[in-house]
Amino acid sequence: MPFLALGSYRIRYELEGPDDGPAYVLVNGLTQYAELWAGYRAALSARGFRVATFDMLGQGESDKPGLFISQDDQVAALGLLIDQVGRKQVFLGGISFGGLIALRYAIAHSDRLAGLVAMSSFAELSPQLLLLGNALRTGLILGGTGYLQDLLLPMNLSDAWLGPRLGNLEAVKRQGWLTNDVYALQNLMESFLDFQPLTLQLGAITVPTLILNGEFDFLTPRSLHESLRVHVKDSALVIIPEAYHAFTLEKPDLTADLLARFAEEVLAKKWKGGQSVWIAPEMAGGALVPFPPEQDHLRAIPKVTVPT
Amino acid sequence: MSEFLGPLDSSGRVPPQQQTRVAAFLISAHGALARRFAFALPQQMKAGWQTELNAQLYREAEIVSLLMRAVSWVFDPELLILAASWEAAWLPKPMTGLNDNVLALTIDLASLGHAVHAAIRPAALLPENAAAGDAFVMALRRIEFESGRTVQAQILFLKGHDLLPYRDAVNAAVEERHRQVRGLWDAMLKGIGVARAKV
Repeated sequence: MPFLALGSYRIRYELEGPDDGPAYVLVNGLTQYAELWAGYRAALSARGFRVATFDMLGQGESDKPGLFISQDDQVAALGLLIDQVGRKQVFLGGISFGGLIALRYAIAHSDRLAGLVAMSSFAELSPQLLLLGNALRTGLILGGTGYLQDLLLPMNLSDAWLGPRLGNLEAVKRQGWLTNDVYALQNLMESFLDFQPLTLQLGAITVPTLILNGEFDFLTPRSLHESLRVHVKDSALVIIPEAYHAFTLEKPDLTADLLARFAEEVLAKKWKGGQSVWIAPEMAGGALVPFPPEQDHLRAIPKVTVPT
Repeated sequence: MSEFLGPLDSSGRVPPQQQTRVAAFLISAHGALARRFAFALPQQMKAGWQTELNAQLYREAEIVSLLMRAVSWVFDPELLILAASWEAAWLPKPMTGLNDNVLALTIDLASLGHAVHAAIRPAALLPENAAAGDAFVMALRRIEFESGRTVQAQILFLKGHDLLPYRDAVNAAVEERHRQVRGLWDAMLKGIGVARAKV
């Protein structure tokens, strides 16, 4: 199991796929760990990518500092991993908290990337997200990792995914419970205590950027993704039908296919971002459809023309 | 070497020898914290965070009391040596670089409390099929669950405004206590055939 050295801390990472291919570097969400990308490592490797995943500081097998973890430390750890994959073309993807870290890296090092995928991501804390984050942190403190999972599962996954697993939910939660330590999760959450919005810095991201947003994402709703679309010049927003915040877990085949297609388009110089808005297919391999221009992609209710 | 306690008996209970060794370690660590909190508790509290000292003293004592009664004890001669080494490890080590010796001792106590409550996860040693109604199993789960709350007093103090000028030194003190406690915990577990769970 290889490790990178971030000062006195160890960062555990995994590399898979052909050494001569372009790289995909994937960044975990808050309560995740690198093994949750195993399916992506296999799918993207099969399409010629060198895939790098890692446990952030405070997660999984990486070191868990006792008191303080800053987001700058996470960006630095990500930078070490990107250096580790070598001087090849690098596509960077992150989900949720990992999406934020990926955005921060891209703002500072856009020239190092060939493309960016921001999934269920945000550059600012809306009042809803701020209050939800505070409530989740309180839930973690009072009820432990298990209670945090109890809050996150129904918030971030669909009935279609949860339904068949309801009778076995403790087993679903167990690996995450074993992997996550309360104090380490709390440190990760508290790295937001002095968070400043990144919105005005998003213009520094000059690489092609794919923004993926679940249709029914409650935690980071469309408005937060819209902010990314509007401020990142070469972006496209793709809405994933019937999906919630944690669609990388719920729809891995579709998401891995979207990641691969994005990178293949960029490498073939066929990518057309243009701050456009699209609807993803239901299944991997299907066609993306432009969002109907007569509709408002921020709303669920169609535009209604009031007769005069 | 297994990641979990066991093999369990037919009722889903942890072997008594493992219960004894794990409980002895926890009693040693939480008992030491209880003693030190008892000494640190002022007659007249002057700051809000000191109310946590009172609460924590009784939480540590509760853990000791709970384990004494929930464990199927067996004679373990190695404990004579092990317990002595554990007790030596919990002795006060005032944080260096501070002129205020009371504050340096308090930071060390909080660092040790943080390490014991945060770095040790006794419930994570239990296999999935451990008997949920067994007293030892329930005690480990209770200790881990309560530790998540108990450690908050340490976090509030160690991350608090008053210690910001000493942030790096405080951080180093906490990391050192974590290393020490993890090392002793891992060594104890190795002695009963358990290696801490990996992803």
